[in-house]
Amino acid sequence: MPQDSAISAQPRTLPSSIGAIRAIFGSGAVIAAILYLVMFVLYLALLPGARSYSHFQDQLANSLPLALAAVGGTFVVLTRGFDLSVAGVVSLANVLVATYSMKGTTGILLAALMVCAVGLVVGAVNGILIAYLRLQPIACTLATMIITSGIALLIMDAPGGNVPSAIGNLLFERFGPLSMPMITVGVVILLWAVIRRTDWGVGLYAVGADETASRLAGIATASVKVRAYCVAGMFYGLAGLALSSITVSGDPTAGNSFLLQVFAAIAIGGTSFAGGRGGVVGTILGALVLMLVQKLLFSLGVSSFYTGIGQGVLMIAAVLVGAFSAHIAKSNNT
Amino acid sequence: MKGGIPVCSDRKLSPAEAPATARESTPSFLSTDLGKSVVLIALALLMLFAGRLVSPSLGGLNQISAVLVLSSFLIVVAFGQQMVVLIGGLDLSIPSMITLGGLLAFAWTPHGVGELLLVALAVMAVTGAVGMISGLGVTLLAIPPFIMTLSMGIIIYSACLGATRGTPRGQGSETIEALFSGRFLGIPLIILLVAVLAALAILLQSRTTFGRFLYATGTNRQAAYIAGLPVRRMTVATYACSGAAAGLCGLLLVGFSGGATLTMGQSYLLPSIAAVVVGGTAITGGRGSFLSVLAAALLITTFTTVISSIQIEEGWRTILYGAVVLIAILAMRDGTTPLTWRLLPLLRGNKKQQST
Repeated sequence: MPQDSAISAQPRTLPSSIGAIRAIFGSGAVIAAILYLVMFVLYLALLPGARSYSHFQDQLANSLPLALAAVGGTFVVLTRGFDLSVAGVVSLANVLVATYSMKGTTGILLAALMVCAVGLVVGAVNGILIAYLRLQPIACTLATMIITSGIALLIMDAPGGNVPSAIGNLLFERFGPLSMPMITVGVVILLWAVIRRTDWGVGLYAVGADETASRLAGIATASVKVRAYCVAGMFYGLAGLALSSITVSGDPTAGNSFLLQVFAAIAIGGTSFAGGRGGVVGTILGALVLMLVQKLLFSLGVSSFYTGIGQGVLMIAAVLVGAFSAHIAKSNNT
Repeated sequence: MKGGIPVCSDRKLSPAEAPATARESTPSFLSTDLGKSVVLIALALLMLFAGRLVSPSLGGLNQISAVLVLSSFLIVVAFGQQMVVLIGGLDLSIPSMITLGGLLAFAWTPHGVGELLLVALAVMAVTGAVGMISGLGVTLLAIPPFIMTLSMGIIIYSACLGATRGTPRGQGSETIEALFSGRFLGIPLIILLVAVLAALAILLQSRTTFGRFLYATGTNRQAAYIAGLPVRRMTVATYACSGAAAGLCGLLLVGFSGGATLTMGQSYLLPSIAAVVVGGTAITGGRGSFLSVLAAALLITTFTTVISSIQIEEGWRTILYGAVVLIAILAMRDGTTPLTWRLLPLLRGNKKQQST
């Protein structure tokens, strides 16, 4: 609610500590965080074997590709856009890393540059077609998704390839108590905290809330949108890199399973598909929740056939709780 | 398109014409729904005959008939998807609904025409009811359509998976298969069936009160509500329509392939959206007609058929498919005029709009 919207970029006094927490994370993120904590405690209670720090780290590493892709999607959804190209770009980045990357630390850096560049190009095409040629976001990104998965198929027509061990170990690297996924998530959240305070960050919320009003207020709406798609593309590329680090191989259809999960993570994280409300922190938590729920249902002894039912119900419930709390926040403010 | 009042107040205006009035700046034949469809079908035919250059077996009458048969599935699901999109929603549960419909038809195995009708109605009733649940979630609980149908899709798929333990049980039905093998006056029965259904769908959109309400609600929900239209019931009905259409598609697929699998619906989600947007339907709702979506479905199926018979890498096929979708939506974005005529004034027009 207002805490998340563009207006909140202005400093304002909030009545309570709850208000302060909301101001930092946005109400959607708080719900996702509570959901995650409850599920995590349940998970630990049910599965004693999971009570170790390294298990938590592994779990974080496994959730990272989805989290990164969903963070990218959040930028677009905030502008009331829609980006299906995530599936294509993740696949493309995955096969690129599995085909062309070099050994060693420079290999990691070059691979990161490569996937970012690919994502940037696809994002720029999406953004320009949508913002300047006024194509419908779903239609346009559907086409670019198909094209990018075609390019992925050209590079690698069947699963295979090899990922250098430096990249394979990337996500499981430890720096004292910290691991690479933790650092990545931390950096993303810090970046987001900065971006939110820039003109572009405020513009994202403004364009999503009301594009016409934003344009009249002097925001360069088209450029805000193009940049949103570009940044989103880069995150998809990084998600593809993270995925390659986990699977240690290439698969031209690797990204397909991301398509719907990305939107599920965004929804659980409290970002509104009507635009202008939500944020990146919630999305990361949403991705964590989504990955944890599968494990939780499994450890509850639910047949793996039925885990989808749990996931579906959870998504609906998360959105309902989010809408309900937003409603309360609204009625408290007025 | 923001003001929906003219649609509601001018009772004489038929809903198919109402959206067209918004585009009066280009009052040519090509900008009408009929014109769009003619262009799309002409493109499909052109593609089919161009394919003959590459592979001599393409382009004959038999080939046209085969493409029509193949496109019947997409036409049926695209109808449901378009109904939901017209009201401003999106149905992502279509693949699971197709699977559900297919599994039911496979399990119930109709013998004879009477049973087939009964089974078809039963399948559509079940999938329609599931669609109705999505609709209720969207209207009563105000859950975004996207999330609601995505969740329902996951839930239904999971339920199908759990109920069948991964291996669907049943028998292929020779009665459903007869739809594909049987002919009437030399035309495959399935083509006649889809033609009748399509005619009904077009009549539903353009000649009924329901159709008029649909466009009014899609154009401006608030205005439609204030004007006293049953907005909620309409919304639930469109999701039920989509569910029923997907269920019917599942049943037809069982007849076509002689069996049901859990993944039978998966390849229809993106094409259904592609057919709707290539057919010029606004994803924000209120604009578009089934005639051009049908033509778009034909074009997409023709394209995939032609391209699969050409000896090139799978990657190039996919890229070409994406390129065709992209070009089609660029060309259809505002009336059908060739892309080259469009691009220049388009760029200028945008600059003008931005400076205001």
